[in-house]
Amino acid sequence: MNRRLARVTPGRIVALAALVLLALEPTLAPYIHVDVTIVSAALLFTIAALSANLLLGYTGLPPFGNAAFFGLGAYGCALSIKYLNVHFFTATIFGMLAALLGALIVAPFLVRRRGIYFGLLSIAFGQVFYFIAYRFTDVTGGEDGMAVTRPYLAVSTFTLKETAFYYLSLVVFILSILAFKAIVQSPFGRTLVAIRQNEVRVRYLGLDSNRFVFVAILISALFAGLSGALSALLNGFIAPLQLDWHQSGDFVLATILGGSGTVWGPLIGSIIFVIGRDIISTITPYWQIFIGALFVACVLGFPRGILGTILARFGAAPLSNEPEEANWTQSPAIAVDHHG
Amino acid sequence: MGDKFLLEAQDVSKYFGGVHACEGVSLGVREGSIHAVIGPNGAGKTTFFNALSGFYYPDHGRVFFGGEEITRMPNWRRIERGMSRTFQTPSIFPELTVYDNVMLGVRSKAGIAFHARTPSGEQQAAHERRIDELLGFVNLVRFKERPVAELSHGSQRLCEIAMSLSTEPRLVLLDEPMAGLAESETERIISVIRGLHDRLGLTVLFVEHNMRVVLGLADRITVLDRGRILAEGTPSEIAANEAVRDAYLGKEVLEHV
Repeated sequence: MNRRLARVTPGRIVALAALVLLALEPTLAPYIHVDVTIVSAALLFTIAALSANLLLGYTGLPPFGNAAFFGLGAYGCALSIKYLNVHFFTATIFGMLAALLGALIVAPFLVRRRGIYFGLLSIAFGQVFYFIAYRFTDVTGGEDGMAVTRPYLAVSTFTLKETAFYYLSLVVFILSILAFKAIVQSPFGRTLVAIRQNEVRVRYLGLDSNRFVFVAILISALFAGLSGALSALLNGFIAPLQLDWHQSGDFVLATILGGSGTVWGPLIGSIIFVIGRDIISTITPYWQIFIGALFVACVLGFPRGILGTILARFGAAPLSNEPEEANWTQSPAIAVDHHG
Repeated sequence: MGDKFLLEAQDVSKYFGGVHACEGVSLGVREGSIHAVIGPNGAGKTTFFNALSGFYYPDHGRVFFGGEEITRMPNWRRIERGMSRTFQTPSIFPELTVYDNVMLGVRSKAGIAFHARTPSGEQQAAHERRIDELLGFVNLVRFKERPVAELSHGSQRLCEIAMSLSTEPRLVLLDEPMAGLAESETERIISVIRGLHDRLGLTVLFVEHNMRVVLGLADRITVLDRGRILAEGTPSEIAANEAVRDAYLGKEVLEHV
């Protein structure tokens, strides 16, 4: 374990460099003209993209309804501030719990669906939550959305300003990516990858794959809820559109762009997507054309995404064409011990 | 051992629309035997196999395993009970290494596939030894770090057999283990199947259409034809059976025996 931590790999160096850059962003902001708020938004967006990535890249299920969990996080957070007058972290936890609750309601229906049926049912459920937020005007403000006053941090009467909020986002982001990495490398995460590759075999190894999918949906919802809650606190505003299926599509798009099935891919995709959208939308109102073109280029040109393509080129061992034949002459020498 | 049936099918039928793929098939697999199900293409062998292993459930009839009724038991639970199977096309995790393919079954058996924390060093080492044992049995140790997709068809099938052993079954179901293999690979699979029985003491039920292989390997044979049982008996009984000769074998096949 310690040996593994100490090993220096190119990937670790790049990741560390990225984190150092992110830590220096508030200092660099005036020079590179990238505001801390937009990078905060990108980091929080990444957490939602990680949520999509767990289902899409690891389990092999299209998460077209994750905006519902994101929105439940945002509304859960906002409403707990409005009605319960809770502090910052408590509000965030309320947001995550709201997302978890939503997932507990929909997951039993989703858990038996695969492929496009999972995607379509996700959209349908997501839109249900969207219409609830849209119609339930008395509580949610309906179409107009609602303002979110950033509450005091924990017990003190201290409110986070933009730079401090940025550092908080960065810390939460780092914790999220560490948690995500631990999950996908754990036996549970390896089983999810196996489900993506061959679910029948997973079941014929004695594992109830639906149970794994169920928990994957709950974990995904927690990440999305965390992202939604903090995004609401960052923006000071939420609207039903944040639950819309377009929003789910954005998370999926950023994931695929950066590299689905990789730990750091969603960060790359989210930074390009969020900051790119911000820059292009100041130039032209037709920014969606550029996002669309980027997505088409990604799917046609590098379907593994940016990081996936890089890893395939440099990281993974080159694939040889024809394997050596097994040595048939050598006889099996070891008996299988049934209590081993 | 002896007369006890480890797996028993009673009057199993499976229909696909109007097609009676499998009709009223009864069969008992004795503990410790190598039992073959043979029949020409379309005889319902694989359908019957799928009904036994819970790939789908039979429309009629009952299935028992170790004395317990499993007719509508989910397939993953049958594996927990000590059944395992391979598929006609090797069912593997193509992008994962041979090692990781077998690892999942070992973790499943150890009950840690669901764990969110990394296994302890000690446990991991024990699992690695177990994987080496299993890969040693099918002679794939040297391909351990290779993605299974890179292996030859025969090696993929051996990897699948190692995977099916990783859950420590009592009964192994093999669906056409020799399909699509070269002669040398076929010999190898035959010796591995013998090893399952002779060295590991497992009960084996396999589907095959190569009569020569079946007569030399099985100690009990069930012949299916058009979804029904045509005959059942020892290899010599089957070889002498007129109905089997007429329906399926052809004289030249039997002359090899």
